[in-house]
Amino acid sequence: MNRAEPLLKIRDLKVSFGMGHHEVQAVAGVSFDIFEGETLGLVGESGCGKSTTGKALMRIVEPTSGTIELDGVDLCAQKGKALRNIRTRMQMIFQDPISSLNPRRRIKDIVAEPLDCWKSVTGTERDTVVSDLLVKVGIDPQVYGNRYARQFSGGQCQRISIARSLAMRPKLLICDEMVSALDVSVQAQILNLLEDLKKEYGLTLLFIAHDLAVVKNVSDRVAVMYLGKICEIGPSNTLYEVPAHPYTKFLLGAALEADPDSPVHGDVLTGEPPSPMNPPSGCRFRTRCPFATQKCADEEPLLSEVAPGHSVACHYPLNVKTPQKRAPRTTT
Amino acid sequence: MSEFDPILLAVNDLATTFQTAGGPLPAVGGVSFELKRNETIGVVGESGSGKTVLTRTIMGLQQRTNVTVTGSVLLDGHEMVGASEMDKRALWGSEVAMIFQDPMTSLNPVMRVGKQIDESLRVRVGMSKADAKARAIELLELVGIPSPAHRYDAYPGQLSGGMRQRVVIAIALACSPKLLLADEPTTGLDVTIQAQILNLLDDLKERLHMSVILVTHDLGVVATRTSRIIVMYAGRIVEIGSTREVFSAHRMPYTRALLESSPKVSNDPHTRLVTIPGRPPNLLKLTQGCSFAPRCSYATDRCHQERPELQPADEPGHAFACWNPLPKTRKRTVKTT
Ligand SMILES: Nc1ncnc2c1ncn2[C@@H]1O[C@H](COP(=O)(O)OP(=O)(O)OP(=O)(O)O)[C@@H](O)[C@H]1O
Ligand SMILES: Nc1ncnc2c1ncn2[C@@H]1O[C@H](COP(=O)(O)OP(=O)(O)O)[C@@H](O)[C@H]1O
Ligand code: SF4
Ligand code: SF4
Ligand SMILES: [Mg+2]
Ligand SMILES: [Mg+2]
Repeated sequence: MNRAEPLLKIRDLKVSFGMGHHEVQAVAGVSFDIFEGETLGLVGESGCGKSTTGKALMRIVEPTSGTIELDGVDLCAQKGKALRNIRTRMQMIFQDPISSLNPRRRIKDIVAEPLDCWKSVTGTERDTVVSDLLVKVGIDPQVYGNRYARQFSGGQCQRISIARSLAMRPKLLICDEMVSALDVSVQAQILNLLEDLKKEYGLTLLFIAHDLAVVKNVSDRVAVMYLGKICEIGPSNTLYEVPAHPYTKFLLGAALEADPDSPVHGDVLTGEPPSPMNPPSGCRFRTRCPFATQKCADEEPLLSEVAPGHSVACHYPLNVKTPQKRAPRTTT
Repeated sequence: MSEFDPILLAVNDLATTFQTAGGPLPAVGGVSFELKRNETIGVVGESGSGKTVLTRTIMGLQQRTNVTVTGSVLLDGHEMVGASEMDKRALWGSEVAMIFQDPMTSLNPVMRVGKQIDESLRVRVGMSKADAKARAIELLELVGIPSPAHRYDAYPGQLSGGMRQRVVIAIALACSPKLLLADEPTTGLDVTIQAQILNLLDDLKERLHMSVILVTHDLGVVATRTSRIIVMYAGRIVEIGSTREVFSAHRMPYTRALLESSPKVSNDPHTRLVTIPGRPPNLLKLTQGCSFAPRCSYATDRCHQERPELQPADEPGHAFACWNPLPKTRKRTVKTT
């Protein structure tokens, strides 16, 4: 793992959507790095901007501002052919395995879509590449290659999506809730497959999901998002064991371990995330944070390192060796 | 049957079969269990294992012509199987109520939420308009909706998913049912909202002295929120017992496979998950043997020939259906590698 230069470098990424007279800032200034060969997990509640971040990296939605560098090349500055060339090096897999495949196409043609689109191979090569990919994801090309996507189950469709995403030999794979719609036994099969292929193809992953156990099982590092911003990022084990941001702590406290002896945490976050159309001033979490003070309303906390590789955006981080004095609780 | 009978619900050899173009489909294939007053039982199993059909059958909602229901559902002395629509209506709301996974499907999108609660109060309890409104606002407050008098006038579309599920719970509780059937009540909600809803259900169960059947595919939810568990596979109960016993001393290989294949928050990154080969069987093509046999590493000839019935384990109330059960153990720690 080369820690020196990140494979993907994102700085102050913003994405806004117009909603009539209003504007929703779905991604409100996000910065992070992904290093070659690692898996970065991205978690957070529904609507916090995880998918929009992923789509902006793929340029499926246009970022409003910010930079996205892949291997030192700024994607936002590229146009036309150059952009398309860079884009082949990133692929995205979506949640809904069945509807993301065209039901009326044959499996082998679905897997070959990127090859056909980029006209990168000849006819016989195409067949070999497609057969190899199908074998890699555990689908027999002789038996199933000519069948239609609609004849496959969710798990099998997800295998086909993975095969398609690997056709152009990408370096970075963005997985958006890729196992969320699957039953546990099928989910386990797909997660193991993803780990195997990651090693074999030397992939780097951005793994977006709301299931904290799934994310922990696959990610080297995890980033937590709240209302369009990253509030904490760090090594998975550290972040899960000693979360520094109050939101991370509540999020993890609500995740239930499949163990009757595990304690049910008494601290349940009250309320719901505010509308992204009208985010709170200062810290975006302050309307639900039990530690909020006047400072939290006045000043936006910026991401800063609390330990090597572990950063948090909070004026009063938790579990930190040399804690700042916590101001008394005030109601907001 | 009296209030003092500790058993609220007795399900006996319940079977629900759909007549489909491909032949008879036994979605629930002979299920028996009892539920005490003020008890929460969890029903787990992968999709298609019959959880929803089982709860709908208990509720008496399977009425269509292509369905055959046999066996017995005795709810507080009332037989639900074969009961007339009118008899069932009299029980819906006051004896048994149901909440579904997607709150949008059980709410009328063009009717104010308060009115939807009012309606069941006025129709079922015969309250006056003013009383019903006051009670509806009380119920909205009970389920933790902020500024309930104001939300009374909201349409479902104006509420978040978590709020909508609270409204659905308020409607279900309007007539103080003795049994609440909750089919995946938090699936699709964020964990923080899920925790709020589960706490609410726990709290209401105690306050209103209800029994709850909590259907979910989420093992974390059953582990922490139920006292007993039913594990379903291909329309049948394959293991039943106290939650602690089923998690730590299960005897049926499918139960183990289900527990082992689910990722844990405590796992290290890149932990290899245990997988179950293959997929659940096609219910149209069930064999006479154990329905897990094609995927089971312990399967013997007998498993393919003869179906194992539930047999008692050591702990009272714990039973499993398997010819070659896992050895007895006090504490089975679930493997993750
Ligand atoms: N095309 C769009 N037009 C308007 N608003 C949008 C659009 N896409 C997303 N949004 C809004 O942007 C915000 C972030 O959405 P996004 O889909 O990225 O969330 P998410 O974190 O992926 O959530 P989930 O966990 O539900 O998938 C939400 O408030 C959403 O409603
Ligand atoms: N109305 C119906 N007609 C035919 N088959 C049905 C019907 N409803 C459910 N089934 C079948 O019954 C089985 C069990 O379904 P269900 O109870 O919904 O599973 P679960 O809730 O455990 O996911 C499935 O095979 C399903 O396809
Ligand atoms: S900055 Fe203030 S409001 Fe925000 S998380 Fe930290 S303590 Fe809470
Ligand atoms: S009866 Fe046989 S096939 Fe079925 S679970 Fe037991 S060992 Fe496996
Ligand atoms: Mg999303
Ligand atoms: Mg169901």
